Amino acid sequence: MGHSSRPSRRRPGRLLAALVLSIGAIAAACGGGDSKSSQTTTGNTDSTAPATTAPPPTTAAEEQPVPGGNVVMAIEADTSSPWRPAEMLCAIACHQVIRNIYDTLAMPNGDGSWSPYLAESLTPNADYTEWKITARAGVMFHDSTPFDGAAIVENLTRAKNGITTGAILRSVTTVAIDPADPMTAVVTVEKPWAAFPFAMMGQSGYMASPTWLKASDADATLKSKPVGTGPFVYEKYVPNEVFSMKKNASYWNKPYPYLDSIEFRPIPDALSRREALLSGTVDILHSANGQTIADARKDTANKLTEISNNGETAYSLLHVTQDGSPLTDKSLRCALAYATDDKGLIDTIGAGVAKQANGPFSPTQVGYLAETGYPMTQDMAKAKELVAAYKAAHPGKLTISLATTQDNTNLVTAQAQQQWWTEAGFDEVTIDQIDQAQYILTAALGKFQVFQWRNHGGFDLDQQYYWWHSSGSKPVGELALNFGRIKDTKLDTLLDRNRASADAAEKKQIAEDVNKLFGEECYNLWGSWSIWGIMSKPTVHGPVVFELPDGKETAFGAGIAGTFYAMNLWVEH
Amino acid sequence: MRYVIRKLAQTMFVVVVVTFVTAVALRFLPGGNDVIVGLKAGPGATKEQAQQVIKDLGLDKSIPSQYFKWVKDFITGNWGLTFQTNETIASALKRAVPVSAYLMVYAQLVALGLAVPTAVWSAYKQNSRFDRAATTSAFGMLSVPNFIVAPVLVLLFSVQRKWIPFPATYHSLWDSPIEHFKAFVLPTVTIAIPLYAGYMRVLRADMIGTLQSDFITTARAKGVSTPALLFKHALRPSLFSIVTSAAVQIGALMGGVVIVETFFTLNGMGRLTVESIFRHEYPTVQYCVVVLALVYVFTNFLVDLAYAWIDPRVRVSRALG
Repeated sequence: MGHSSRPSRRRPGRLLAALVLSIGAIAAACGGGDSKSSQTTTGNTDSTAPATTAPPPTTAAEEQPVPGGNVVMAIEADTSSPWRPAEMLCAIACHQVIRNIYDTLAMPNGDGSWSPYLAESLTPNADYTEWKITARAGVMFHDSTPFDGAAIVENLTRAKNGITTGAILRSVTTVAIDPADPMTAVVTVEKPWAAFPFAMMGQSGYMASPTWLKASDADATLKSKPVGTGPFVYEKYVPNEVFSMKKNASYWNKPYPYLDSIEFRPIPDALSRREALLSGTVDILHSANGQTIADARKDTANKLTEISNNGETAYSLLHVTQDGSPLTDKSLRCALAYATDDKGLIDTIGAGVAKQANGPFSPTQVGYLAETGYPMTQDMAKAKELVAAYKAAHPGKLTISLATTQDNTNLVTAQAQQQWWTEAGFDEVTIDQIDQAQYILTAALGKFQVFQWRNHGGFDLDQQYYWWHSSGSKPVGELALNFGRIKDTKLDTLLDRNRASADAAEKKQIAEDVNKLFGEECYNLWGSWSIWGIMSKPTVHGPVVFELPDGKETAFGAGIAGTFYAMNLWVEH
Repeated sequence: MRYVIRKLAQTMFVVVVVTFVTAVALRFLPGGNDVIVGLKAGPGATKEQAQQVIKDLGLDKSIPSQYFKWVKDFITGNWGLTFQTNETIASALKRAVPVSAYLMVYAQLVALGLAVPTAVWSAYKQNSRFDRAATTSAFGMLSVPNFIVAPVLVLLFSVQRKWIPFPATYHSLWDSPIEHFKAFVLPTVTIAIPLYAGYMRVLRADMIGTLQSDFITTARAKGVSTPALLFKHALRPSLFSIVTSAAVQIGALMGGVVIVETFFTLNGMGRLTVESIFRHEYPTVQYCVVVLALVYVFTNFLVDLAYAWIDPRVRVSRALG
């Protein structure tokens, strides 16, 4: 992370080139949505800036926030789905917006663990098969509905029955009000789940007004007018245009929020987003685009804060259990890894902003290892040797398909991989460009062999449970969150042990074992660790960490890569 | 009257055909209903949940029965909600149509307002320095695509000068006229540049032909002033091609400016249609097609009237049946 402070020297030619490229990308995609929404290649991480675990240094001005003012933030995508917690298809930009309306029951803290937030407490029984969640007293939803045990039950029941959130809460068996305390909800789970509060930091933990939820059951048009307990109150939502909200003057966590209002504007193209900041139309933006971050590092008229902690990994996802696929063979999967020059991709396509990944866990995540056994340097001779051995044992044409989006950067990455893998000995490597709307679906249905993807940010290994556990794997053609259909009993055991454990040392060891397992098995081709840049006008202050009700500091960022809490933003005016 | 009735019948026929063809064609999009389930339900959906989504949206029925339901909904005004945002389709269209309509009208006004005098003068001064400059620059404008023009304009007027906000935010003309025009000025210019160039070249060519006609020579011999000669006598018979061209462009602009709308983040018909296609939102796409078809038909109706005004012989031949 860091702040820029040098004066700006904009280069019109360069800006022009960037703008031309940006609209060219739109033309290529034919308006097909967000080219950076859920999958990127290696252009988003950083080899020059240090990994970030602490908040940026504060200045004297930042220590004296001034209430009032308005901020316009450019975000990378519009959620364009119902703004109800159990129904949202919530990518990064969605969380950035909606966490201003909804508070979560828990929040990530600076220790890499969780703290209660909207909940007064989350208390397990001895074997972690039951959790008592007590509502914070005196909190009201924006529509004056009281926040209590019943509200928690209503929300968690819906989350349990929701399609996306239901996958996260699959092992929850019952949710009920504590007969002894109307402010407390009791959640029981089928197997010990010590890491349960981590699931309450995100979408499953958003608390919406039960009154509004029931009203929107009857009137679907209300679904896009969310009501929560958060620092800002819904004002207007126009799909693909704007989500505006005003200050919740009665917010329970004083002195927040500072701003009178905040407006989110989706600008899918990263370069256009940055031009919007330079033109003065927006005050702050987020971006994971390597070129944009590289430009922002040189732009000293505006501020740049980089967030790399607990971020995601950009990688090539492999379908490892498909009948007849060569990728069921470990040596061939590793051959792909040996043949790929990730560092070269980072330097050429990612403007050198990236940091090469050796596994799913970035340096600030539990489970990170400096050495995972994953091939970090291109070794074409080794790749050729492995491919030749495979071909000797499996006569016939060796072909593989590689799925990517219509985004130009992703396509260039795919073309480079195609070239390397062909050089390694594959007879044919085909590239399938898939439009944005179908992309995630292709992964969920398992209809791919190699797939460009970005995922696995978070704090606890348990947050990856449904992506990797065999219970999340289904036959090709059925929707499943274990996209690569990994079925590894050793991995399952590790994930289950981690879920049940509350011992930090043991959890660390388990996560490291998982990391090594991925390195040895070459289940995925790791690319780079995401860095997000928060760029803003110099008059905008924040994001910064703040103190949680339990006295701990929040984690920098907001626990989800590319997001931060807007409630402590303030502007000079 | 008979002419109007015939036009109405044509309109209905066109709307039915294009919406039905659209309804059928949409079902052949890659991914089929899987895309809707994936977007609506999320990747964690079970088979049962996926089937429920399909049933809720009526996608388990045959294409003809889905189409007839859509026609019924259309006629009864019960247009339903968008699949993704649960916004009423009527309000999505209500938001998108004015944006595209303003964009189309402003671009046409700017393009025609500049093209007509330039073309007339260029034809009158054929092979002059002005003519060569006008035709050469028109060539240049035609060959530069809007995805080049738009960022250049943004760079000059938004990033460097900060005169025009980028991206644009739509404001009603009546509520906030200055902000309204600020939002439209760059998109309008982006679209108007190639339009102007096309119109200018078409009209210039026709004018050159007209200026060589005998009646122009006669008018000159009678001492008619140059402005009157050009704009009163020569221009009107030269308008056929440009009127036809403008009519075709109106329809194309209503739905075809998706790149410009996306770049400037204007939520117009082009963007709504294309994004609905990507999301397989069949009903929304069909309503978009209805709007576009009506615009096309109505525009052609106006063009027919314009032909009659331009050339009285058209009116006479229509009157004779």
